[in-house]
Amino acid sequence: MKMPKMPRELQEIADAILHSKAGIFGLTILVITIILSTLALVYVPFNIAKEWNNPLFWQRNPRLTPPSWVNVFFGGKLPETIIVANESIRKYSYYLETAGLKYNVLEAKFSYDYQDFPSELRLMLYVNAEKILTDIKWIQPNGIEITLWKGFLRDGLNSIYISSQSDVYNNIVNSLKRLNLTLSIAMRPEIILFMDNNSSNNNPTPVNGIYTLKIAATSSNRTDDVDAALIIYGRVFGLAGTDDKRRDLFVGLVWGAPIALSFGLIAALATSFLQTFIGSLSAWYGGLVDEVIQRITDVYMILPFLPILITISIVYRIDIWTLLLVVVGLSVFGGSTKTARSMTLQIMTEQYIEAAISYGASRKRILFLYILPRLLPYTLANIVLSVPSYVFLEAALSVLGLGDPMMPTWGKIISDAYSGGAVEHGLWWWILLPSALIILTAISFAFIGLALDKVVNPRLRER
Amino acid sequence: MWLPLTTFKYLGKRALFLLVTLIAAVYLTIMVANAGGLIDNILKAQIRYDIVSSLARSPTWSELTEEEQKRIIDERFQIAIKAKGLDKSFIERTFIYLVDALTLRLGRALFITSASGSKNVGDIILERLPQTVLLFTTGTIIYSIVGLVLGLYMAKHPGGLFDKAFSVFAIVTQVIPPWFFGILFIMVFAYYLGITPFGGMVSIPPPKDPASYAFDVAYHMALPLFTWVFSLFGAWAYIARNLMVQISEEDFVTAARAKGLPENTLMRRYVLRPSLPPVVTIVSLSLISSWQGAIITETVFNWPGLGTLFFQAINSLDAPVVIGLTVIYAYLLVFTVLILDLIYSILDPRIRARG
Repeated sequence: MKMPKMPRELQEIADAILHSKAGIFGLTILVITIILSTLALVYVPFNIAKEWNNPLFWQRNPRLTPPSWVNVFFGGKLPETIIVANESIRKYSYYLETAGLKYNVLEAKFSYDYQDFPSELRLMLYVNAEKILTDIKWIQPNGIEITLWKGFLRDGLNSIYISSQSDVYNNIVNSLKRLNLTLSIAMRPEIILFMDNNSSNNNPTPVNGIYTLKIAATSSNRTDDVDAALIIYGRVFGLAGTDDKRRDLFVGLVWGAPIALSFGLIAALATSFLQTFIGSLSAWYGGLVDEVIQRITDVYMILPFLPILITISIVYRIDIWTLLLVVVGLSVFGGSTKTARSMTLQIMTEQYIEAAISYGASRKRILFLYILPRLLPYTLANIVLSVPSYVFLEAALSVLGLGDPMMPTWGKIISDAYSGGAVEHGLWWWILLPSALIILTAISFAFIGLALDKVVNPRLRER
Repeated sequence: MWLPLTTFKYLGKRALFLLVTLIAAVYLTIMVANAGGLIDNILKAQIRYDIVSSLARSPTWSELTEEEQKRIIDERFQIAIKAKGLDKSFIERTFIYLVDALTLRLGRALFITSASGSKNVGDIILERLPQTVLLFTTGTIIYSIVGLVLGLYMAKHPGGLFDKAFSVFAIVTQVIPPWFFGILFIMVFAYYLGITPFGGMVSIPPPKDPASYAFDVAYHMALPLFTWVFSLFGAWAYIARNLMVQISEEDFVTAARAKGLPENTLMRRYVLRPSLPPVVTIVSLSLISSWQGAIITETVFNWPGLGTLFFQAINSLDAPVVIGLTVIYAYLLVFTVLILDLIYSILDPRIRARG
């Protein structure tokens, strides 16, 4: 017996997709999405996504900034984040034998060439001494010297939040006063430090050029040491911006794809196959089996699905993958059970089934080998059509706070954005980028599904 | 309208079936909630609280020693538990709860209170129900009419530019849930354009006189209503169009056309009339699904209905409210289906005949 290259049923599916504009369009989007997300997954390794809920991991990113490519559209050059550390800091240290004093002088130089101010400043000092007297100065390109902070630092990591510490702010204002520069209005420290003092206080402009941060540390021990890192948080970040926890949204978007898709695909696969199988079973065995299955289906179809799902997840505090099992369990019977039943009833009247019965094929054999394969196109089309609704179900569960707490998903990012006030404050990138991805995925499946409409809808079928 | 006996027989059968469905849904909810022992614990805690607070009101109570107080509480607690049937087996208990739920004795909420200060789950839910019905029934009526008219128009000119373009629109809006549009629309209309409020149902403080109160509610309802209609009318128009195209290809329509009937009469009597039963089915089924999808849509718009209540209950883990709402949802669904059956039996002559 010669085996055909591809089962007729699959051939039918492929033809239906490739011979319609909608099918090709949907398939193209889907393939592009899959290729891009695969590439992105290589670019962003999993161990970064794993840190999604670890705030320390993201502390070097600016907070709530749009993606870098907005610079292309909005002309004005918004600053990127600048991190001045290690090699870009010049360090002199010497020990004065006579006085018994150790001097560490650090000079961090960086060039600033943007038309807007940074969003935040933070200085991190790693001190390896019991106690160290530190004097931190900020020197603008035009030579204006401002004292940021003076005092003792202790062993370990000391963070100086230049943008939010009130003592730093007072020091800055006092330094300006000594230079006979006064502020007419209260301003944020990161603006004062970068602004051109000749520009008006109401509409300040930044000075471009080489800035210097000078840290002079004095202590009493020969081995005492200090290292520094200055973070000048920008106003744009990466390909997708950042959220309120400074997380790189690109990582979340990239790693949200496999989770959203696998949730949608698994749920669609499982429910479609189960429903079709049970519907077919119901028709093939008939009698009491049929009656019971049909009545249960009737009940199932009007159960309040989402409320019961939510009740289950609250009572048992289950994670999203167990919840997926529950979703499948709650959809064992459904619309497809009815359709598959009627399709099976139709197939049963065909002659080859009669022939199979007459030469003594077992009932099981007929069901699995002669009837179910005929239902395959319908099942596949059904899978494609129901993927989007399950992708959105995952998003809906995330919005309700019932999603996977550990991994980022599209739904979770949208939910975070919504509860984080992205809508009220116009933080468009936080909400629109994941939305665009989820919509694009859903639409691609919907268009492929449209192409398969003929297969699903037996009434539209000409044979 | 005169209905034959067979219709009543049919409706009776359906009502019986729906009663079974209702019991199944409620029983499932109870099994889910009590398999973790949740309902038992909540009830016991509430009984104990009632006993302690009623005893504490007695003036002689504080004169008793602590041990004696404890003994009396325990005694009464045991009696109350026996009276409630909480000492019975698990299965028996679930049936007690089932009867309680079906008779809408939904118990007391753990944290949420109604605006009038009641902790009764029934009161809390009843207070929210009108708002949900107001928004979603209005929405469903609007999009059904808009969709039907558009579907009719498209069915008259199948394959035209509008038909094609609108089909794409229908497919795109069909896969995207309303709450998703809600978030996007709030951003556009409330944040960027500033023409609608961000959410809620009335301004704070609410206006005093009824006319401006009604206007204020309408102002707040505009965007959620628009969202609901926008996200659903496309798919619905598409379904209506397919239905009517299918019917207008039937032989009896061709025959009527051959007879020379005017196009309007043809549409009204030969195409619209037979499409009514499925139209009614789909509209009411979407009304049913609106009760569920409304959980997130209402939350997004901060609309003070059942959906927002559900969301609050989830976030505060207020199990009695969640269970109570699920029961109410089951009731709503079953009643919608029953009303649908009634309409169906009037519209579809085959049911009248078959019974």
